[in-house]
Amino acid sequence: MSSTVEVEPGAASESILVTTESFENFEQMSSSLEEIKNTNAISQSEESNDNTHNEHFEETSNSLESCNEDDNDLEHNKEWTSKRKHVFVLSSAGKPIYSRYGNEDRLAWLFGVMQTLVSFVQYDDDCIKSIHAGDTHFVFLVKKPLILVAVSKTQESVFQLSSQLNYVFNQITSMLTLTRLNKIYEQRQNYDLRRLLSGVERLIDHLIDFSETEPSFTLGANLVFAILLANNKLITLVRMKKYCLHPADLHLIFNLVQSSESFKNSESWTPLCLPRFDPSGFLYGHVSYLSEDCQACLLLLTVERDVFFTLSEAKQRIVEKLRRGNCLEAINESLNTKDETCNGAGFPELRHYLYKCKSTAQFYQPKISPPYTLTRQHLIDIYKRAHQRLHCNTRPLKLVFERSPKEAILAWDTKGFELYVVFEPLIDTTSAISLIGSLLNWIKKGGKAFGNEVK
Amino acid sequence: MTSSYRPNLMPNVMLLGDSGVGKTCILMRFRDGLFLCGNFISTVGVDFRTKVVSVDNTKVKLQIWDTAGQERFRSVTHAYYRDAHALLLLYDVTNKTSFDNIRAWLGEIREYAQDDVVIMLLGNKADCGSERAVRREEGERLAREYNVAFMETSAKSGQNVELAFVAVARELKFRQNGQQDCNKFNVQDYVREQTQKSQCPPCTT
Repeated sequence: MSSTVEVEPGAASESILVTTESFENFEQMSSSLEEIKNTNAISQSEESNDNTHNEHFEETSNSLESCNEDDNDLEHNKEWTSKRKHVFVLSSAGKPIYSRYGNEDRLAWLFGVMQTLVSFVQYDDDCIKSIHAGDTHFVFLVKKPLILVAVSKTQESVFQLSSQLNYVFNQITSMLTLTRLNKIYEQRQNYDLRRLLSGVERLIDHLIDFSETEPSFTLGANLVFAILLANNKLITLVRMKKYCLHPADLHLIFNLVQSSESFKNSESWTPLCLPRFDPSGFLYGHVSYLSEDCQACLLLLTVERDVFFTLSEAKQRIVEKLRRGNCLEAINESLNTKDETCNGAGFPELRHYLYKCKSTAQFYQPKISPPYTLTRQHLIDIYKRAHQRLHCNTRPLKLVFERSPKEAILAWDTKGFELYVVFEPLIDTTSAISLIGSLLNWIKKGGKAFGNEVK
Repeated sequence: MTSSYRPNLMPNVMLLGDSGVGKTCILMRFRDGLFLCGNFISTVGVDFRTKVVSVDNTKVKLQIWDTAGQERFRSVTHAYYRDAHALLLLYDVTNKTSFDNIRAWLGEIREYAQDDVVIMLLGNKADCGSERAVRREEGERLAREYNVAFMETSAKSGQNVELAFVAVARELKFRQNGQQDCNKFNVQDYVREQTQKSQCPPCTT
C-alpha cells in the first residue's frame, strides 16, 4: 500500500476501510462476531473506549443527501406506471414483502409474475439476471430466501441496479440477520415477512432515494466501531485493530441515523446487523448525539447485549474529553463550513468533479454550483454513466472523454485513484488535460479538500 | 431540602406495548410537556431518558426505557426486563388488536421480568372520541383479572400522564422503605382515588 502513497493525493498509509469493489457474496464477510466474542469477552467495551484515546483516528468527509418522493398507489394509474424506478421485494415463494410505490397487497398478481419468471429460469439450473424492453430494464437479484426486482427507466447499468438491490437486501438483513431470515423460511415457506419488517419500509424507501442521489454508493467508497458522524458526514471512527467495516455497511448506518428521528431526543440502544461484517448476528449500538451544543451523532458498537450503562458512561467520558480539548467547537466549526465550489477553489473552468482515493476508499466532491444546483439528478446520472464506462465488465476503459451538447466529461481510472471531471461542452482536450494536472496537484498539496486528513 | 434525597432511589421504568400505541408520546408529554402531533416517530431499539419526580419531599430519579414495539426488537428489550422495577404497559383504545395483545405482553412480562415488578396498564389515546374501539370497562376488567393498576391516558391532552409516572414512583418509594407489606400504600387504590379526583386533565400545558 505504501508504495502507492505518492501517486494518490489524499491517500493514507493504511486504510481502515475495506476497499473492495465487489458487492457480491456474503461468504466473503470480513469478520465473525463469534470470534470477537471469544477473543474479547472481557474487555470489549473498554477496548472501544481506549481506542478513542490513543489510536487510529481517521477522517473522511462525504456529503450525502437525499430527496423524498411522493408515495403513490393504484397500479393502472399513470403516475404509478411512469415512475423512473420501481423496486420490489418478494419471498422465494412469491409472497409480497415490499414495493417502493403502491401497496404490495394490490400488486399480488405482479409479484406472482416475477416469481414465475425466476422459477421458470431456475428450472433449467440457470438464474435470471435481467430483461430489456426498450428503455426499461428489469433487473433481478435472486438471493435466497428473497427475490429482489428493479424496474428502471433510468440509464443505470444492470450492475448498478443490482448493487442497489443488494443494498436493499442488506438493509433487510441488517434488521433481522441473515441467519434468522433463513431460519424463518426454513420453518415456514409461506411466512409473511412484513410482520417482522414493520417500520423498515421507511428505511428501504430512504435507502433507495439515497443510493440514487449519492455518489459514494456508485463509487463504493467510504468503514467501524466507534463512529462519529454529522450531517451525513463521517467525522471519525475508531476500531479494534483487526476489524474493518465495509463502506456498504457504513451506508446502512448513515441511512439508519438519518431516517430515525427518535435518536435525536435520547440515548438509544439498538441491535444492528452489518451484513458485510457478519450477516449471522447482531452488533448492539449505543446511539446518541454528543450534546445540546454539538449535533454530531456518536455510535458505539459492541457484541454485548446488555452493556448499555457501560457505554453510556463511556460516552460521557468521550464528550468530556472532547470538550476539554475544544474538539466540540472544532466539529461545529467544520460542520458550519460549506464545501467550496470549483470556482471558489480556483478552478473556474471545472463545473464539478468526483475524486476517489482507492487506498482509503474515500472520496471528495466540491459543492455543487450552477448549472447543476437545480438538476442534481442530471449530474449524478452523468457520473453513473461514466462510472459504468470505466467499470463495464466486458470492455473496461482507463480513460474516457465524452462531449455532449450540455457538457464534456472526462473519467480516468488509475491504480491509485478515480477521477471524474465535468467541463463546459466546448473545452478542448489539451486544456482539459492540463486542468486535470493542476487539479491533481492541488489535491496532492492537500488543498482545502484534504486539509483535515489527520488531526 | 435534599436531606431526604436518596441516590439509591433510581428505579428503572420500562414502557411496553405494541408499535404505535403512543409509548414515546406519553414519555415526551411527561418529560418535556410536548405532544408530537401527527408525526410518527418510530423508536429503534430502546431509548433511554431520565426524569426526577418528587414524592413527599423525596427525589426519585426515574430511569425510563422507551422500547420499540415491533416484534423484531424483542430480543433487546428482553435483556432489560429483569432490571426493570416498574412497567407501564400501553394499548391504544382506538386499536382493538393492541388491546388483545396485552395478554401476550403480560405473558412475556411473567417470563422475563422480576416477580415483584410494579405493573400499570394504560389505555392511551383516551381523547379519541368516536374512534374508540376498546371500552374503559374492558380495560378495567383485564387489569382486575391480572391484579394490576389501570387508567386511561392521553398524551395529547395530558390526561393522567403525570399521574401514571408519579404513582409508580410513589409505589417504588414506599417499597424501598419496606412498607409494602403493611399495606400503607397501594398503587391501585391510589390510582383509583386520584383518577376520580381529576376527571379533567391537569392544566399543565
